[in-house]
Parts: sequence; structure tokens; C-alpha cells
Amino acid sequence: MSQSDIRKWFMKSHDKGKGNGNTDSKPAKPAQPAQCATEKQPSQAKAAQASQENSGRRKTSKYFSTDKPKEEKESVEVRAKRKNQKDHDESVKPLPAKKIRKVDTNSDDDFILPSSKNSDDATPRKKLKGGSGRGIVQKPLKVDESDEDDLEDKETPVKSSGRGRGGRGASAAPAGGRGRGAGRGGFMNFGERKDPPNKGQKEVPEGASDCLAGLTFVISGTLDSLEREEAEDLIKRHGGRVTGSVSKKTNYLLCDEDIGGNKSSKAKELGTAFLTEDGLFDMIRASNHAKAPAQESKKSVDNAVDRLCTEKKIRRQKIAVAAPCKSAANKGMTSGASAARQSGQSTQHSALTWTEKYRPKVPGDIIGNQSLVKQLHDWLVNWHEQFLDTGSKKKGKKANDSGAKKAVLLSGTPGIGKTTSAKLVSQMLGFQAVEVNASDTRGKADAKIQKGIGGSNANSIKEFVNNEALNINMDRSKHPKTVLIMDEVDGMSAGDRGGIADLISSIKISKVPIICICNDRYSQKLKSLVNYCLLLSFRKPTKQQMAKRLMEVAKAEGLQVNEIALEELAERVNGDMRMALNQLQYMSLSMSVIKYDDVRQRLLSSGKDEDISPFTAVDKLFGFNSGKLRMDERIDLSMSDPDLVPLLIQENYINYRPSSVSKDDNGIKRLSLIARAAESIGDGDIFNVQIRKYRQWQLSQSGSLSSCIIPASLLHGQRETLEQGERNYNRFGGWLGKNSTLGKNRRLLEDLHVHLLASRESNSDRETLRVEYNTLLLKRLTEPLRVLPKDEAVQEVVEFMNTYSISQDDFDTIVEISKFKGRPNPMDGVQSTVKAALTRAYKEGCKTRLVRAADLITLPGIKKAPKKRIAAILEPVEDGLGENNDDPVEESEEESSDAEDIKDSAVGEKLQQELQSLSSKGVQVQVDLKGSGNSSAKKTPAARGKDGSGSAAQKKGARGSGSGTKRKRWGK
Amino acid sequence: MLWVDKYRPKTLDNVLVHQDVAQNLKKLVTEQDCPHLLFYGPSGSGKKTLIMAVIRQMFGPSAEKVKVENKTWKVEAGSRTIDIELTTLSSTNHVELNPSDAGFQDRYIVQEIIKEMAKNRPIDTKGKKGYKVLVLNEVDKLSREAQHSLRRTMEKYSAYCRLILCCNSSSKVTEAIRSRCLNVRINAPTEEQIVNVLEFIGKKEGLKIPSGFTARIAEKSNRSLRRAILSFETCRVQQYPFTSNQSIPPMDWEEYISEIASDIMKEQSPKRLYQVRLKLYELLVNCIPPEIVLKRLLYELLKKLDIELKHEVCHWAAYYEHRMRLGQKAIFHIEGTVSGEKNRALVKLRQKAWL
Repeated sequence: MSQSDIRKWFMKSHDKGKGNGNTDSKPAKPAQPAQCATEKQPSQAKAAQASQENSGRRKTSKYFSTDKPKEEKESVEVRAKRKNQKDHDESVKPLPAKKIRKVDTNSDDDFILPSSKNSDDATPRKKLKGGSGRGIVQKPLKVDESDEDDLEDKETPVKSSGRGRGGRGASAAPAGGRGRGAGRGGFMNFGERKDPPNKGQKEVPEGASDCLAGLTFVISGTLDSLEREEAEDLIKRHGGRVTGSVSKKTNYLLCDEDIGGNKSSKAKELGTAFLTEDGLFDMIRASNHAKAPAQESKKSVDNAVDRLCTEKKIRRQKIAVAAPCKSAANKGMTSGASAARQSGQSTQHSALTWTEKYRPKVPGDIIGNQSLVKQLHDWLVNWHEQFLDTGSKKKGKKANDSGAKKAVLLSGTPGIGKTTSAKLVSQMLGFQAVEVNASDTRGKADAKIQKGIGGSNANSIKEFVNNEALNINMDRSKHPKTVLIMDEVDGMSAGDRGGIADLISSIKISKVPIICICNDRYSQKLKSLVNYCLLLSFRKPTKQQMAKRLMEVAKAEGLQVNEIALEELAERVNGDMRMALNQLQYMSLSMSVIKYDDVRQRLLSSGKDEDISPFTAVDKLFGFNSGKLRMDERIDLSMSDPDLVPLLIQENYINYRPSSVSKDDNGIKRLSLIARAAESIGDGDIFNVQIRKYRQWQLSQSGSLSSCIIPASLLHGQRETLEQGERNYNRFGGWLGKNSTLGKNRRLLEDLHVHLLASRESNSDRETLRVEYNTLLLKRLTEPLRVLPKDEAVQEVVEFMNTYSISQDDFDTIVEISKFKGRPNPMDGVQSTVKAALTRAYKEGCKTRLVRAADLITLPGIKKAPKKRIAAILEPVEDGLGENNDDPVEESEEESSDAEDIKDSAVGEKLQQELQSLSSKGVQVQVDLKGSGNSSAKKTPAARGKDGSGSAAQKKGARGSGSGTKRKRWGK
Repeated sequence: MLWVDKYRPKTLDNVLVHQDVAQNLKKLVTEQDCPHLLFYGPSGSGKKTLIMAVIRQMFGPSAEKVKVENKTWKVEAGSRTIDIELTTLSSTNHVELNPSDAGFQDRYIVQEIIKEMAKNRPIDTKGKKGYKVLVLNEVDKLSREAQHSLRRTMEKYSAYCRLILCCNSSSKVTEAIRSRCLNVRINAPTEEQIVNVLEFIGKKEGLKIPSGFTARIAEKSNRSLRRAILSFETCRVQQYPFTSNQSIPPMDWEEYISEIASDIMKEQSPKRLYQVRLKLYELLVNCIPPEIVLKRLLYELLKKLDIELKHEVCHWAAYYEHRMRLGQKAIFHIEGTVSGEKNRALVKLRQKAWL
């Protein structure tokens, strides 16, 4: 909304207000904006009057807040203004509601909040509402509608509630019957929750946002129409609290049939009331009517009183806040100045962010980690006695005390109060804290030694440490004790080398205690430092602790927030108190009543950025309410790991029961959704190929769209298990594992293939080998073992293996790739003695065997190609000679060639044999040597080629080395 | 030794099945310089055997002295160097390789090896042929880029190097390459031919074969000679002497796929789909090529489907097969087929129930 628009609108409405205000004041009152729903209306006459005043005043405030935000004097915030106003108005009437309203309407106009409820008609209607709030009503609105209209935009509330009730009444009877049946199934099959029997059949009511406030629910079993997550959401939205197990505090156990589980028995024991889903709906619906006049006036009075009290409290508190500031003022100039300002005007809080303002003032204020703070405290108290006094008194004795560390290392995620506690503890013990913020000082050539900042960070620290030590030694009584706080040590060593090492040496010689602070204690940089420090790991505070503290802050600031909302906030920021406060402050600028939904809305988008694991991403994408996610969020989720998320999706999409399909479809619809999803996943794969192969990275969004988002949006819903005993979590993508097994098997198969090729008996390709040969090979290898007597079988199999150069590994490969799940293992029925005999026989045969795949071993650093070239040129010469040789002859020679190494009596004979077949061997030898490369070959290939008809001795040398490598390879 | 290999004809004169083709090839090789050849035809029809025989015809028995090598090529591709490893089978006069094994880098292989061979032209001393032969298997699996780059090098180095290409389907080979080669279509042998071959083997092995037994094997073999011989021998291993009603064992994976198909038909539910997926993984992990899985699955399904659905299922299977070639992760696509078919089958069933 542009500025001019606002002005125009203001002028107009103001004029109208003058005309209308007095005449039609009654309907004006209830027409409150959404955020005001909890607020009760003041009495009517006053409201009319007030609204007029308001509109006038409002105009000015409007201009201040939007047009002149910079003007210092008047830039007192809205709240400050309110305060002044209040002083002024207080005598006249209880104002709070009006004030709130004013701020609210203000906020509506200033920031168009992304609120789900009225996002669709944000501008026009809001104008209307705002107008009515000021007593300008064009449309006569019903009393009822005022509360309702923000929640249910489309229908008038009377109608809707009536219809809702009617629907429920009609469906109640049959629903019960069916529900019970489903429930029994759910009980039997633990871990798998059945679908709600009447899923999506009932209209979920919308009630006042606080109608369940203060109530605690436990959900058990299957509800009639809501998924459990939906029910949880509904309760939270209406201010209730949902816990996991029944305790004394539990008000209701929400369940539609008594399935007799743990929860219900406990509830009976404790006397907790049982509540059905319909009952819950009734409660929520009832709240709409409860808001009607009966309670209204009473509540509004209550509220007004409440407000007054809180206002007073705030003031008191503020003074209290100012006091410690003042006391601390002499510590630093800035704080003194701010304290002065604060004391001058108690409402001057705009200068401070809430994180500063509500920083704990005493160690007891720190949320959580109290034991750690205590430890820190003790350590600091004892430090001087332990380390300084030893120098003079009991030298060496205490220095050896291994338990005592001279420094302390605080670690933990950001925003949980590490720095604060370090400061507070040292302040409390009267230490003067010198904070060296490593990330600030890095690279700065500042000569101020006092602050511990110097040309080199670590160096100056050393100086500082020494200087302080001097000071202390000289007159300790005068100077305050000092403590050095090294903040962000894990960010330190990046800029200046050896920072950590220097820090360690400083720790060794230090005369002052050193507190180091880091985020990640397990960081590689800090590995050495850890040994010298007492380690204190801060944990995240629980959300209850945080909510409690946030509640205090909210009260102090005059915000109306319910606990559920704050718990939600605490959960969303992931334990970061600083962030929670910042968010709260930001929200307080635009509204003074913060509800669960507001928190959800805001933090859905601006929540703390955290690393989303692919699993979380998939969970979210498939979650029951993922339909509400925005597109960019979905893309973010699927991009959190663009490789893994699609795999997870693919692995798990079958398991989801889409929430868009109701039960009675008998699975057709679900299957067709699955088919669509499967096709889309296929698309994703094609995209992926385009991206990876052709580097079309511009397609990555489309890729994630079709591989993740479409399947997820088709099938999101409840996960169910498909296998007995499976845990109901998303499985890790099976593809990766299977693919690597496939790769392994393929490699093994390739080995086998090469061996077969090398045997020169077969020249099929790999695929044929697997698809067609494998069955027969397996039969030939295993069948004899099963049928024939042992020795014969072994003989036959080994022979067969030798013919095809099948090694024992290949044997295993063949068996391995013929295994199918649910099929008998091909090696079944083969006795272990036979197996052992086979192994033995094979090993035996291995001595006299040549595996011809010798060339396959690629030695690192050898270029195969050039050698091949030389061979190619030289070979034809020999070839001509060897042409008349047949395979069988060669076979025998090969065997003999290995046997010659054994040096038996037949050496001479064999030599002769060799001489005869020199020419034919030439090829073979060369092949082998080439494969073994320069590891064994003493001569160059060229030389060898030349003396193809050379002396036997030379030949033998070549052969010997060749076979030696052969054996080596075989052993491998 | 397996019979398939034992009785593989070594020369063009010895072939039993494609005698006419063999004679033509012989003439072609002996009389004149041979052009580039492209052999295509279904698997098990004897392409490879013919190719080897042709090479033997060209270079004599030395062509049979092959060695296996795992070669590494260093290829400069733009700014980086790629190492590609590939197994080659080579003799002095020919090199055989399977370029599609290099995946999407097959283009470099094709270019590089032809250049390399051209550089190493055999010395022509004894009036021998002055060229080498490069046998490329599975040309239909070459990527489009590789085929394009092949086209140019084929012409440029044709003086030094003859190509023999071998593939199952010529439709996946680009027009440009087909026109540069002499296309030789190798038909699948007829059942009578198969029976003849089996009888021949039986005689050589001295087996007693009951009448009609070989015919049954031939029938089961889907007109693939290799399969026929293999299953013939499988039968021999399993049971001898033969009986005329002896069962002919199917391939292990075929059994498994038919199991899957009946799974699919029995029940259509996400749970079943999940189980089918596991079984499919099992097949793929055991190195059964996804195309074959898909094809076989379709074949098995067609046996069980009613007539009006057959058409549709074929269509979708083809659709997914095409996509599988485009994609990488075959399981995704097979799953798509399966789920799609399940869905369709279910819809049909419902409609029937409705009527």
C-alpha cells in the first residue's frame, strides 16, 4: 500500500468517522481486527467515544511511525506514545483494549502480514475492518461475525457453525461403528496407524484462538476424522497444549475409542477426562458462542484490570532494569550513557535491542546450564589460589595437579548464552573482563596493548597477559583482578597463522584466567587447544525454559502472548535465545497480541536457517501438511541435497498413503498417483542426465521439480509400512547400495569375461555371457560336484575351468551372480568336502597353469599405447613363422614353461622343446612381458623382438622372468 | 569346452547356417578390397562367427592369435585429459573392442583408436594387406555423438583401416554410418536350420537324440542358435540319455522374471509394487541388462493380459524403454512401467467388475 493511499484513506475515513461515529457505535465495537481476538470489548458508549478520539490520534501516530521514523525526539515508539496517551486518558476510562486495537490496526496497515487467514482479502477487507474499528461502519455487521470474520472469511459464522453441527450429527452413528473396526486393526498392528475412518468427512471448526488455553491434551489411538498431526495442530492453534504421555496435568485424553493402551489405562488411573473428537469440536465451537455478551462484559473488565496491573508492573520493572545499569555505569562509558538516558526517560528503550536489554543480569538468570555456570564460577574463584599462589608457596605440588586447567573453553551453538555467562560470572566475582573478540581484531594493526589487540593478535595477548600479571604482582589490592575472555576462538586462526598455538603458549605463562569461547568444540582448529582447557559444553535450553523466559520478557514489554506460541517460537529458533528475542521484538513492532498462528506464519519463512538433512527434507516434503508449503520452500527442501533427496523420494514414495485420496477408493486412485509419480521420477532422471552429461545446469530446477516435488505433492500423507517389522521411517535410498553392488558384479563379470576371451575359446560379449552362457557355465561347474563321485567331479570341473581360464574367483563370481533372493543357492547340495577338494585340486593345477589374462594388470605409470605400437610393428615377422602352430601344442608349452621353474630333471628336455617352438612362443612371451611391463623385462621390446631366433639362454631368461611375474600375479 | 565354442565354424567355408552370406563375403574379401561392413541381426544368429571367419579369411590363421589387453587412452578433451580404460581383443591385424563400455566417453575412444590404428599401418612387405581391421561391437549402443564422430574418421582413414561394425538393430545406427558401410543383414536361423545344427552336433558328440527333442529345443530357443546349443548342452549336463519329454530348463533370470510377472498380475497394491522393486533390483544387480529385463517382462505380461490391454501395455513398455535410454537409473523407468501397468491392469479389472 503506498503512502499516498494511506493518507487518502485516512482523510476519508476520518471524515466519515465524524459523520457516522455517534450514530452507529454499537456494531463498531466488536469489529476488531484479527489479532485482537482475545481482547474483550470495552463498554459500548465509551468505545464509541474512544474510537473517535482514537481515529484522530491515530492519524498522527500513523504519520510519525511511517513518515518520520528518523526524528529523534518524537520517534518514541508506538508504545511510548501509548504510555503518554494512557496517562492522559487514564482518568477517563479503561483504555487498554482500545490502545491495543489502535496499534493493531496500525500494524495491519503498515505491514501486510502474511497471515493465512486473511491473506486472500488482505487489503480491501482490512480497510473495512479498520474503518469499523474506528466507529465507521458502512455495513451493519452482526455481533457474532466480529469474532468470526477473520477466521472464516467466506461464510457467515452462524451458518457455518450450524452446518458443521448438522453434518456431525448425521455422521456420528455410522462413524462410530466403522471407527471401532479400524481401531482394532490399529491396535493389532503396532506402529502402524490406521487411517481415520471418516477422514476429511467432517468440517473442522474454527474457534476463538484461546478457547483451549491452559488445557493439556494427550492424543491416543485413531481419531474419527483427523490425522493425529492435524489434531495436534488444531489444538495448538486454539491455545491448547499437546503432550506425549498422560500425567496429572493432563486435562483430556483425546481418543475416539478406548483401545485400552497404555495411555488410556494411565488416564483412568489418574481420573483424566476422556474426550472424543466430536467433543473437541464442540469445545472449539462453543467458544464462538461463549464469546457472546454473557462473558464479554465481565471479561473485559477483568482484562482491563489485568492490563492496568501489567502496565504498572512494567514500569516498576523498567526502573528495576535501569538500576543495575546505573550501577554498572562506571564500568564503561557507553553503558553509563545509556543508563543516563534511561533514567531520564524510562520509556527510552528503542535504543537497545531486547537481546541487550534482557540480557541476564545475574548468573541465576541464565537459562539452563546452571551447573556449568556454577562450574565456571568455582573455577574462577579458585583460579588465583591455584595458579598464582603456587608460585610463592607450594611450588610444584599443585602445578602437577592434572585436574586443574588454566583456561576454560566454553562451547555451544550460538545464542545460548556463553558470552553472557562468562561475563556475568567474572563480573560477579569482581573481575574486570577484557573481551578479545577474535573475529573483530583479526588483521587489525591496532597498537592498544591494553585491549589485547595488536599487530599480531596472539602476540599482544601475550603482552597483555604479562602486563596484567605485573600489575597484579605489584599491587593487587588496588587494581581489580582481570579475566581475559577470548571470544570466538574457532574463528581465529584463519587470519593469523599460529593463533591457536600462541594462545596455548599464552595460557601456559598466563597470570590471568582465560576464558575461551567457541561454537564447535570438535573443530579441527581447536584440537590442540582442547588439551589445555577445562571443557564446558553448553547445551541448548529446553523449549519450556525458553518459553518461560520469553514470557517474562513479553510481559515486561506489554505483549500479549500465550505460552503455546512462545513454545512454538522457542522450538522454531532451535534453541537460540538471541534469535527468539529478536523475532519477538520484531513481531512486537507490528502487533501486541501474538498467537500461535502468527509465530508459525512468521517463522515458517524467516525461521532459523539450519542445515536440513536430506531426511528431514524428505519428511517435510511428504509430511501431511506439505501441501501448504510454498513452492520456493519445496525447492529449497529438494535442493538441500539435489542428489540424495530424489533418491530418498524414489525409495519411499510407495510407502505413502496420499492424504488427498480418501479410503473408499480401494487403491485405484492411489496406484494411479503412484504411477504418475513414478513417471515423474523417470522424468527427473532424464533431467539429471541432461544436467550431468551435457551440463545443462539451468535445468536443475525442473529436475528437482519432477524428481522430488511432483511425486511428493502427489503422494504426501501418512507413511505406512509395507514390510513386516519395518520401522516407519523413511528408508535410505536403496539405489546407491544396489548400484555399487551392480558395479562390483559387473567388474567381476568383466574379469570373467576377459578370462574367457583370453582362453581363446570364446568370443562372446559380456552381456551374452551373463544372459546366455551363465546358466550353462554354472551347470557345468556345479552339477558334476553334486552328482558325480568326488574325485571324478573335481577332476572334471578343474579341467573345465582350465579350458576356459576360469579362476577360482571367477567360479565364485558365476555362483554369486546366479543367486536370486528366494531361490536356492546354486551351491546348495555340494558337500563341503567336495568343495575343499576342488579348491585343493585347483590350487594344485594352478602350478602348471597359465592364466592368459596376464595383460590385464595395468601397472601404474606405464603407457600402454606406445608399447603396443612397437609390438604391432614387430609382430608380423614372428607371426609368419608361427603360423603353422596349433593351439594344443601351445598349451603344452605353456604348462612346461611354468614347470621349468621347478628345475626338475626334465630341464634339458624342456629346453629342447622350447627351442623347437621358439618361434611360436615368441608371440606368447612378448604378450606376457608386455603386460608385466618394466617391472621384470630387462630388455626392451625391440631387442626382444630382434632376437626372435636368438640363443636359447637368452630366451630362457626372458621366459623365466615372464613366468615369474605370472606367478606373482596369480598369487594376487 | 562348451559346444557353442567347440563347433563354432572357423572359416567361411564351414558355416552351416548362412552359407549364402558366407559365400558372398568370401568373394568380397578375396576378390577385392573390402569395404566397411555393418553386420546386423538378432542375437544368436551368427554375426560374430561370420565376422571372425571373415577376418580369418583376410589374414589367415594368425587372426586367431588374439590377446586381451586392458588399454588406457589418454584423451585431450578441451582443458582436461581423460583417462579411458577399455578391454581390447587384438591380433596383429585386427582390433576388437566394445566402445559402448566407455559410457558417455565412447566418442573419444572411437576417434582415438582409429587415429592410432591409422598411424600404425602395418608394414606391407610380403604383399599383405596394408590395412587393419577394427571390429566395433554394439554399435547401436554408441551415443549419438560417438556415431557422429565415427562418420568422419571412417572416411578419412579408410585407406588404413577397415571397420566392421556389429549390432543388433540397425535402426539405432545413424543413417550416415549405415550409408558408409556395406550392410549385411544376418537373419535369425530358422528352426529347421537350428535343428540341423543340433543334429550335427549330436552326431559329432555321439549322442542318442530322441526324435522331436531337437525340435523342441529349437522352438524354445526363440530362433537363437547360440541359445539352442547352450540349452542343448544344459540338457545334456542335466540328464543323459535324453528322454523325449525331458524338460528344457529355462535361463535362471527368465524364471525369475516370469515370477515377477505373475506377482504383478496377482495383486496390484503398493505393497506388491515394493516387493517387485526388490526383485527387479535383484535382477539388475546380477548384471542382467535392463533392456532385456523390460523386454522379457513385457513378454511374460503379454501372456497373461487380456487382449485389449496388450496393445496399451506394449505402447507403454516401448515408451519407457525409450526413456530408459535417455536416463541413467534404469530401475526408475522399469518401476514406472511396472506401476503404470499395474495401474492399467487394475483399472481394466475394475471396469470389468463394473460391467
